[in-house]
Amino acid sequence: MNAIDNQLSRRRFLQASAAVGAAVSLGGITAACNAIGGTAQGGTFNWMTWGDHYIDTQLKAIEASDKIIAQISELAGNAEGFAKLKEVKGELDMISGDALWVPDAYFAEGLIEPFDINSLKVSSQLYSFAREFDIWTTPDGYLGYPFGWSPISIYYNVAEVSPAPDSWGVLLDPKYKGRIVIENQPEEIVAYMGKASGVDDVYNMTDDQLATVKGLLEQLKPNVLKFAQQATDSVNAMTSGEAWLITGNLGNEDRVKDAGGPEIKGFIPKEGTVGWMDAEMIVKDGANKALLFPYLEKAEVAENIAANFITHGRPLFNEAAYQVLVNQGEQDRADRYLYNKAEETLAKTTLKGPGTSTEKSIQLFNEVFGA
Amino acid sequence: MASEIVGGAALAPPTAIGVRRGARLRQLAPFLPAAVIIVGLFLVPLALMFAFSFWSTDENLDVIPVWTLENYQNFFTNPTYVRTLFKTMVIGTGVTIVCLAVAFAVAYFLARYVSRQWARIALLVIIVPFWTSYLLRVYSWQAILGERGALNQVLVGLGIIDEPSLLFVYNDFGTFIVLVYLYIPFAALVLYASLERFDFTQLTAAQDLGASPIRAFRHVLLPQIRPGLITACIFVFIPILGEFLTPSMVGGAQGLLIANLLANFFKNALIPEGAAVGFLIAAFVTVLLIVFRRYLRIEDVVVRG
Amino acid sequence: MPVSRHGGTVRWSLRLVFGALIVFLYLPILFMVVFSFDEGATPGLPITGFTLHWYEAMLNNRVLLRAVGNSIIVAVIVSILATIIGTMAAFVLVRARIRFPNATRIAFTLPIMVPGVLIGVSLLIYFARVLDFSLSLGTVIAGHLVVTVPFVVLIVASRLQSFDRFLEWAAADLGASPRQAIRHIVLPLIAPAILAGALISVTLSIDEFVITWFTVGSQPTLPTFIYTRVKFGVTPEVNAVATVMLVLTLGTLGLAGVAMGRARRLTGRMRRRRQAG
Repeated sequence: MNAIDNQLSRRRFLQASAAVGAAVSLGGITAACNAIGGTAQGGTFNWMTWGDHYIDTQLKAIEASDKIIAQISELAGNAEGFAKLKEVKGELDMISGDALWVPDAYFAEGLIEPFDINSLKVSSQLYSFAREFDIWTTPDGYLGYPFGWSPISIYYNVAEVSPAPDSWGVLLDPKYKGRIVIENQPEEIVAYMGKASGVDDVYNMTDDQLATVKGLLEQLKPNVLKFAQQATDSVNAMTSGEAWLITGNLGNEDRVKDAGGPEIKGFIPKEGTVGWMDAEMIVKDGANKALLFPYLEKAEVAENIAANFITHGRPLFNEAAYQVLVNQGEQDRADRYLYNKAEETLAKTTLKGPGTSTEKSIQLFNEVFGA
Repeated sequence: MASEIVGGAALAPPTAIGVRRGARLRQLAPFLPAAVIIVGLFLVPLALMFAFSFWSTDENLDVIPVWTLENYQNFFTNPTYVRTLFKTMVIGTGVTIVCLAVAFAVAYFLARYVSRQWARIALLVIIVPFWTSYLLRVYSWQAILGERGALNQVLVGLGIIDEPSLLFVYNDFGTFIVLVYLYIPFAALVLYASLERFDFTQLTAAQDLGASPIRAFRHVLLPQIRPGLITACIFVFIPILGEFLTPSMVGGAQGLLIANLLANFFKNALIPEGAAVGFLIAAFVTVLLIVFRRYLRIEDVVVRG
Repeated sequence: MPVSRHGGTVRWSLRLVFGALIVFLYLPILFMVVFSFDEGATPGLPITGFTLHWYEAMLNNRVLLRAVGNSIIVAVIVSILATIIGTMAAFVLVRARIRFPNATRIAFTLPIMVPGVLIGVSLLIYFARVLDFSLSLGTVIAGHLVVTVPFVVLIVASRLQSFDRFLEWAAADLGASPRQAIRHIVLPLIAPAILAGALISVTLSIDEFVITWFTVGSQPTLPTFIYTRVKFGVTPEVNAVATVMLVLTLGTLGLAGVAMGRARRLTGRMRRRRQAG
């Protein structure tokens, strides 16, 4: 080695890194410009929501007509969203959350503010019961703008699973060893087994009930092939034939069929099930609160909601959108997904929410599913 | 810029024992930003979490300052945690061995037989796949190793196996393969950085003097790249103890590792409970490093200069 | 360089290992690219048909594009800062007399030992409750520096450690200024370690999920965008984005390689000319 060689190789190295750096940062700057490009009127608000609460073309249309930009970050789970909002508070303007998380966590903690839902014109398109859920009603107003809902169903591969199951018990059948894909949500898995053992209030179980659930979890464990990180994982596993049984929201039979998979059927177990219904909540002291009503007026109209149903395939609370779907010849699908049966279906499900047995559920899950 | 500031430290004369205060400050100045990051953004927040780990969570998922040892007790009273930690360490050790062996071979090849320019390009080629999404790459592994996956289709097609095997993924094997996949590039980069400066004529010289290739390798090459080997070990083994996405995606329901149990707490906003498990993992690693420091000569990297 | 008797065999088998590693590393990438052209709405087997639809969808998905942009910005800033900060610290760590050398060195390995999720949660609480910072890409960068700086420090330090100081002293004896000695002797010799540190920083940062998730404000990065699509799941749009990123990166590297070659030829020519003249 001599000094000149080293110097040259260093120069080459620096030149190369400079070239790479320049190219990469150019890309970054372009992206940043695209990201920032706001306009004078309207404005940008920050919204933490599930990935299926918006459709990009709809966001663009609202931006073009009203200059309102929804800056979205996505939620991974109720507890995670709640924990995050507790820390960042008014940095977010709107957040989505499920069922009992809305009153028992977000509202109880003073993170959101109630509003008069009827002052939103678009709310007249909602099913009337959706504007009057007890759990979301407070003396000061309604806690959220209702969006979508679904009970958790079990789906099975018709060719492989017989006789046709009707109970959570099918998940425990040794015949289906390694054939079940279930969501990667420990507290929900414990809740499912709670349902299987006949408990009603599965988010607030007693120690005795949890002891029974432990036995069921141990039976369940060998049957579970893997935990699905996202709904796609379950659909993929069903499509490829790796899984014969999955749990999930309404609409999986079409998603598996669309992906080229086998015929599958879904059912709500006879022991009852858990479910969710979600709402857009207005964060207390959000800096861009003024933009939320104008945004919701545009975003929640029946045409948008109908399109959302077609794209994301689970029922929503907009009654007018049902008519739009009927007019578009989609009544069959809407009916199969129980679109206009929200009230009676939700009445039979245990709504997701923060519970008193969460910590014990997690301990129990870890105990059974750890090595 | 950087080099100018570093100058003072780098060229402190070898005999300078009584350094004057001004020079001493100048010597330590380049260290400041890193110190600020480690103390201000790591140790202080972590101390906060350490306090939290002795507190409790109330029904609103708020952390309340009620002191308890329960979070730590749970780890030991419930044999699952220790068992899972042990299993994680076994898998981590295996992955580290495979990663280091393959990475060493590749780094040796690049350092000895390939021009420096091409070697650096090769390293970039090795690392670039890692600049795309981790989740997408793990999905690809599912498609390769799954029951209806590419590997099974090829094996069945060639008549090597009669029907698709379920053994490639959603078990510890799947986790093993994907962890090796994820960590090899780190090991390769580190080992290349340490082999690149090795003067390979020393090996030839040793052999000319009658040493067998293996002896020459052991007594001439290994001692010189030991810090690099240990750094590589640390870069592979320790992060595996914190891996929870890989086991949950390709390890299947029977393949959860210790960090999954930890993540389950944090996912449900049970911060003190999760923090306790996290600190115990870190404590185990520290104990391990201390116990094995003689064999690892860990002080080469961590303790001595 | 004299080649030993077994040199040929060793060399060929090592070349084979290298080839096998490249195949191993790029096999999943191949599938990732293939899925971006698949008609099916979920990235997976079986392949149902060829389409460019996902590329079009990707270009119209602004949340996704913004996430990609954010990831790139963060990775570039993090890798530059981590490399500079880490290299400077490594010099001090190896060469200066620090009051508590052992404790200092252990402090630098700790961020690697503590599970990322713990670091993420602690930063979230610290930023929000103690410092009262608004979460932004800035806090993400801070979080990434916590894990990348130690990597750079360790790599550069392990290279500096067995570095022959006599080279520098010799340079000083020959009249080189400290600055010259650093530029012409030290930096070239530790360049591979610095490069390795920079590459590891980019790699850790661009795909970092856990710490990002806790420290990010309302601006998603690509990993948080993908990971959080729980209720619906990813579509091959994301594969399309990843494919485009990969092609751009490889293309840039290719161009850089060409530029590098040309620069070398140019300097070589100039040197010859100078020698001739």
